[in-house]
Amino acid sequence: MTEVCHSLPNKVELPDGWAICYNAREFFCKPRKKFMRITHLSLTNFRNYGRLELTLPAGATLLHGNNAQGKTNLLEAIYYLATTRSPHINQDQQLIHWDALQTHDPVIVGRLVARVATRQGERQLEVRLINEQKGQQYSFRREALVNRRKVRLMDLLGQVRAVLFLPQDVHLITGSPSQRRRYLNITLCQIDPIYCRQLSTYNKLLEQRNALLRQMAEGRGGHDVLSIFTERLVTSGSELFARRGQFFSNIARETQHIHYEQLTDRRESIRLRYLPNLHDSPTNSSETLQLADWLEDHLQQPERIKERFWQAMQESKAKDLARGSTTIGPHRDDWAFWVNGRELGLFGSRGQQRSAVLALKLAEINWMTSQTGEAPILLLDEVVAELDEQRRALLLNYVQSAEQAVLTATDKAMFSDPFLQQATMLYVENGRISANPTA
Amino acid sequence: MAHNVLPQPVQRLIDEFARLPGIGPKSASRLTFFLLRGAENQALELASALQELQARTRFCSVCFNITEMDPCVVCEDSGRDPNLLCVVEEPLDLLAIERSRAFNGRYHVLHGAISPVEGVGPEDLRVAELVERVQGGTFREIILATNPTLEGESTALYLQRRLAGTKVKITRLARGLPIGGDLEYTDEITLSRALEGRQEFS
Repeated sequence: MTEVCHSLPNKVELPDGWAICYNAREFFCKPRKKFMRITHLSLTNFRNYGRLELTLPAGATLLHGNNAQGKTNLLEAIYYLATTRSPHINQDQQLIHWDALQTHDPVIVGRLVARVATRQGERQLEVRLINEQKGQQYSFRREALVNRRKVRLMDLLGQVRAVLFLPQDVHLITGSPSQRRRYLNITLCQIDPIYCRQLSTYNKLLEQRNALLRQMAEGRGGHDVLSIFTERLVTSGSELFARRGQFFSNIARETQHIHYEQLTDRRESIRLRYLPNLHDSPTNSSETLQLADWLEDHLQQPERIKERFWQAMQESKAKDLARGSTTIGPHRDDWAFWVNGRELGLFGSRGQQRSAVLALKLAEINWMTSQTGEAPILLLDEVVAELDEQRRALLLNYVQSAEQAVLTATDKAMFSDPFLQQATMLYVENGRISANPTA
Repeated sequence: MAHNVLPQPVQRLIDEFARLPGIGPKSASRLTFFLLRGAENQALELASALQELQARTRFCSVCFNITEMDPCVVCEDSGRDPNLLCVVEEPLDLLAIERSRAFNGRYHVLHGAISPVEGVGPEDLRVAELVERVQGGTFREIILATNPTLEGESTALYLQRRLAGTKVKITRLARGLPIGGDLEYTDEITLSRALEGRQEFS
């Protein structure tokens, strides 16, 4: 029934948790699902926004306007509040409004505030980006607040969830493993706070172990201390392997299904594989895949994973000591798509790669919704232009059934008239947002 | 720029204050000018307090707490349980446990925790002294009360291994919910540890 309801163009939400959907011939009543959306966004000194107060409606909002006016920055702000990360790998300091940095004030604060409505009530999320002068130097730090109460940045994750579509998403497939791990971590952290804590612990342990390995190369530090850090790294790392493995076994099924049924009309099937690095340098891809199979079979046996990782760590100890760094572990993990027994990143066509990454992102929406009962906010940056008719229609279908979606486009003509009539249109010009272009 | 206007002694004190933790250049100047303008003996009182700090304190040769007398008052106190030993990272941790009045045994202060990133290994801590004390002592239980941080946990694990050969019982402080805390605002890891460590309610 939900599906039917979403296909009807008009929707009225009733205050007591019901919604009515209708068109000229039929209507449905349905209990309103759990939901999560941003009702208001205010930005201070963020990117090209000196000051912005913006009320966001439910459903789709289309930001249009010329290039370099601040459309993408708005998506970035929402994404940042959801993930505490910028979609681009760059310095967070650069997120502060350039003009503000030129003032030479001792303290400069960039501020992102969102009011989020959920079925349980409203909450306010805030991130402060603080650039502070200390003597001759500037130091940068971030603060997070939920309902005006200071929390750790980590605690902001999951307060509002977002799935982001970028034109350069295909780099996830063709780019470096570190990009893929970054995507994996950001996605999992939005859903699984324990994963996020464990990841942070793992990274700190890794740093300690690597420092120790370097000291041992210089003749300091002992094997007894190394074994302590190895043991703790194995415990923490096995947890990451297991949680990543679980995530992939869910999302791979969903991704493959969407790809086969909705994107390629059952003509092509792909496989999404997690490639855990819990073994010393696999020599070829079949060995890598064997390891992936092994992990998948042992997801319910954390002790076995730990044992195998421990064994592998013992085997790579000499190499670790020689290199002065930890050579295996989840920090070297990867994932990849396979099509007809070949790796898509290496052998696939651009079109195949685009379809695969689109399927993955769409699967992410379904996965997040099923895990939390709340649909994530969809953020689409100029992606519609990149897609052919069929993929565009599929993506816009997801957009229309989302609780909230924000899209950017330089050219409104990319969208169908019915879509444009339903969406809220906002015009972005030089860090200002209005309903219509000013003449 | 306004440099070199300040007399050298004033600048020197500002610089010294600014080296202290939690004190920035502004606070440092404020403190300095407060002392400069204040009653004459105030600055002198401070100076003698600082001198005494150096001259009259040392580490206790038994537990390595900071003390005026050696051995320290805690080690000399015959009313304390000679079977119990509590291992802490810093003297301030010892003070915190003393404030709780829940412990009446002996202490051992490590003066830090193992952290290769900061270049701190067991040999930089009072670990060898601890092992020696435990081997030659009358202790029946060692309580590892290092901080529940990554470094503190690693140190505890290391000490457990080092002391494994002795017949002494080794315990670790429990982890769980703070009194007066709110379940809703407790982080997931603390909460899951609290669940693991739950006890029968009687």
